[in-house]
Amino acid sequence: MSLQIIINGIALGSVYALIAVGFALIFNILKFSNFAHGSIMTASAFLGYLFAIKTKLGLFPVIIVSMLSGGILAILGELIAFRRLVVRKASPIYYFVSSITLGSLYEAIVTIGAGPNFYNYPRFFKKLVISIGNIVISRSDMIMFLTSWLALGLLVVMLAKTRIGRAVRAVSFDRGTASLMGIDTIHHIQLAFFLSGALGGLSGVFLGINYTLYPQLGNLVTKGFIASVIGGLGSMSGAVIGAVLLGLTETLLINFIGSGYAPVFTFLIMLVFLLVHPQGISGSNVQEKA
Amino acid sequence: MELYLSVFTFALISVVSVCGIYVLTGLTGMFSLGQASFMAIGAYISGVLVVRLNMPFWPATIIAVLVSIMIGFIVGLPTVRLRRDYISLVTLGFGEAITALLNQSVQITGGAMGFSGIPQKTNFALVIISVIISITLVAFLKISKYGRQCIALKSDELAAKAMGIDVPKMKMIAFLLSVGLTAYSGVLYAFYTTYVDPSMFGWRKSAEWVIMVFFGGVNSLTGSIIATLLLSALPEMLRFASEYRMFFYSVLVLLIINFKPSGLFEEFELSPAFIAKLFKKGNKNGVINATTDRKNQ
Repeated sequence: MSLQIIINGIALGSVYALIAVGFALIFNILKFSNFAHGSIMTASAFLGYLFAIKTKLGLFPVIIVSMLSGGILAILGELIAFRRLVVRKASPIYYFVSSITLGSLYEAIVTIGAGPNFYNYPRFFKKLVISIGNIVISRSDMIMFLTSWLALGLLVVMLAKTRIGRAVRAVSFDRGTASLMGIDTIHHIQLAFFLSGALGGLSGVFLGINYTLYPQLGNLVTKGFIASVIGGLGSMSGAVIGAVLLGLTETLLINFIGSGYAPVFTFLIMLVFLLVHPQGISGSNVQEKA
Repeated sequence: MELYLSVFTFALISVVSVCGIYVLTGLTGMFSLGQASFMAIGAYISGVLVVRLNMPFWPATIIAVLVSIMIGFIVGLPTVRLRRDYISLVTLGFGEAITALLNQSVQITGGAMGFSGIPQKTNFALVIISVIISITLVAFLKISKYGRQCIALKSDELAAKAMGIDVPKMKMIAFLLSVGLTAYSGVLYAFYTTYVDPSMFGWRKSAEWVIMVFFGGVNSLTGSIIATLLLSALPEMLRFASEYRMFFYSVLVLLIINFKPSGLFEEFELSPAFIAKLFKKGNKNGVINATTDRKNQ
């Protein structure tokens, strides 16, 4: 059933792509790996869950609430963990520790609030699967796939075509010069955090639907990191390609050798890939500037 | 009394691993989020060798540390040439892989149920001796040529390269040394608790160590060690608040990073020269710790 595997793999890969792109956004603008991304994912997925339980609305309002709360959490995080570092022009290692700590903080808050239990999203669909011929596509996979690509497409259009997107790219390219050109850098850094958090929220909901919801859900962010390493750190198109490839490989591995050993093999693949082609698929990783 | 002794022993075992983290993060400016997995490797290999193959303690320890260093070499090989972000991301993936491997190999390691029945070989004296040896090792490394090269590449890799420092090699040495120390602390840990399971060695543990180093001061070995003792012993005393532990840690460290980025102890070291200076007032030759670069703050 190879076509089936490919479809499942691409659906999984599109969620990984959301994670990887959210991560790459922050990496581009502040040049550090945002390890708080996973916890923002978890926290916004939980907020979406609460909303779903309280209001009993459908999937799309839940997605919107999660994306908004993800964005707000990310902006809040920028304020408490990174703002002073940006102003001080601190060395990258401080960003790193700050992001890990922020991640621990959010995870601790979720753990205190939710306990170590597992939660399930309510069932959003009456019919769980759509079958075309002998291929079975689960509805959640389908929506996952469509929404992810819609979100990524909108993001690309925004970054490439609009004035704000251009400003974000300018700030990513050179913060000092951008601010000399009259761009409010802090404002655009906040915007990037909001976008990244919103993508995180979206991926959080999908992961929560696909697996279950628990405080350590954010550990799945590792997949996004691996995808961006394969794609080339800091490159968005690379991240998307890497994520889809990772999704496919993982689905194949799970099919042939079982889910237990899959992380081992994905790690080995990443390691070999880094050895032979360290600049990633996109061919341009960010070099440390003088 | 028994309880306090065991809490203190655990804190001291953490000091051994934090010495390793200090070499990696404090001196070289790299972050490993899979460091706890090297602790797991040390613990499991020595445990399996002793329990399943009836090997004596010391040969098992040496084999465990050497194997960890070899694995560390494979993990480090592709990453030391790249930006320092890569080592954190790759070690994070490594941690996942090791956890999966330990969970799967049920016959050898007991899987998720944990590995029990390890004889208790670690006692307080052994831990104290290990701590003294590792602190001395790291302290001498810091003031040696290698340590100064590490500090140089931490502030600016490109400039360090231009001064003729072999950056990938230095990064590899620092990584392997820290892997060795962490694996050894894993051995101590396994033979103290007599039981290990894969969930003890997640990336949160590695992150906790990094946090300890930063809390005490990333440029101060003394600070890192005191912070470790403080941060790992206090929560054990306040067991009832274990849920809030990570919360307080995180708030504390965010405060430190925002308002006192060089940590509690900044660049202070409790060196013999400093002690001598305490007794001989007015002697200004006693400062040997000015090697760290202010620019890095």
